[in-house]
Amino acid sequence: MAAIEESGGGGKDDGKVRGKKVSTRVDMTPMVDLGFLLITFFMLATTMSKPTSMTLAVPDKNDDKEQAQSEPLRASKVLTLFMGGDDEVYYLDGIAADDDAAAEKLGTTKYGYDLRTVIFTSQKRINSQNPKDEKGNDAFVVVIKPTPASTYKNMVDVLDEMAITKSKRYALVDNLTDSEKKVLGDKISTPEK
Amino acid sequence: MGKVRPKKHAPFTDMTAMTDVAFLLLTFFIMTATFKSNDAEINTPTSISQIKVPDDKIMVISIDKDGKVYFGVDAQPVRVAMLDNIAQTKGITFTDLERNKFALQTSFGIPLNQLKPWLNMSKDQMNEVKQPGIPVDSTGTSELADWVYAARKADPMLRIALKGDNLAKFPVFKDVLANLQSQNINKFNLITGSEAAPAGFASEETTEE
Repeated sequence: MAAIEESGGGGKDDGKVRGKKVSTRVDMTPMVDLGFLLITFFMLATTMSKPTSMTLAVPDKNDDKEQAQSEPLRASKVLTLFMGGDDEVYYLDGIAADDDAAAEKLGTTKYGYDLRTVIFTSQKRINSQNPKDEKGNDAFVVVIKPTPASTYKNMVDVLDEMAITKSKRYALVDNLTDSEKKVLGDKISTPEK
Repeated sequence: MGKVRPKKHAPFTDMTAMTDVAFLLLTFFIMTATFKSNDAEINTPTSISQIKVPDDKIMVISIDKDGKVYFGVDAQPVRVAMLDNIAQTKGITFTDLERNKFALQTSFGIPLNQLKPWLNMSKDQMNEVKQPGIPVDSTGTSELADWVYAARKADPMLRIALKGDNLAKFPVFKDVLANLQSQNINKFNLITGSEAAPAGFASEETTEE
């Protein structure tokens, strides 16, 4: 679009009085300025990535009766994860904490890839050694034990790991038994600041 | 005098296209805008979960990095109804002005006994006050439980979301959990940021035999 000449009619002096042609062009610069100002405002004011959510269902505290009827878990089918401070995870793979060898077998790992490998290894081993139960569930069970030193992020990370490794049977237990406390020792003491 | 000068034209760019683009973008941002609330700064952990947080009918219990607990409900009428409920059970009366002010708070962390003075402050003062957080303890009958109860009484359809900071310690979460479980709330959402699933991970729907 070329600029429209504004000098319409002025050049030819043929006596006729013509209405001066007024340019129809509007200066858009302020409008663009305003437009971009508003865009900037809205871009800064919006949160683009919508947060996601994970569902957490905890067992009802009141139905103790039902829990008492289910058979106790065999330690050989269980991977116990202890969430310690400083983003450390301690784990007992298929061994009970009151076992004499537990202290030696206690492993340490970090969140993310390392923990995933631990879970996958344990899952594979336990599921190959134990048949599925009558309901068709895998034998593999994860017991997650957060300690007071762990953070909320640690818990979400572990729950996320459960989703990634497709470990359907896991339990969030927040009290440590005496033998577990003994095995973990000072690893889980809250750093006093 | 006789010189013919070329006519001086101011350089003129055609802005029409630019305006079009600018306003198109503007429209887009206005439509998609969900405003940041002036809540306490909370950095949520990320998860691979794909479920979006519901937009409405939700109450959010936030835990910040110091373990302070904040509470918020999305709809303004529900906020007022909630305040009325709690006022009734606790024997406090709130004026209309206080109720209106309360309706504007997306989330708050003020203990009940400080709520009235807080609502009487000017807007600037309210923002400057360091909120001490809602009292929570492991007994399951702390103020948070009262608020949750009042909110559910105001709107039984409310869903419950927990939003914790990365650095929030587990015991605080445990206390919040105890408060919810004491009311038989056993299912809730944890608000997280989104994160890419590790390579090779397929979600449940695609791997189901």
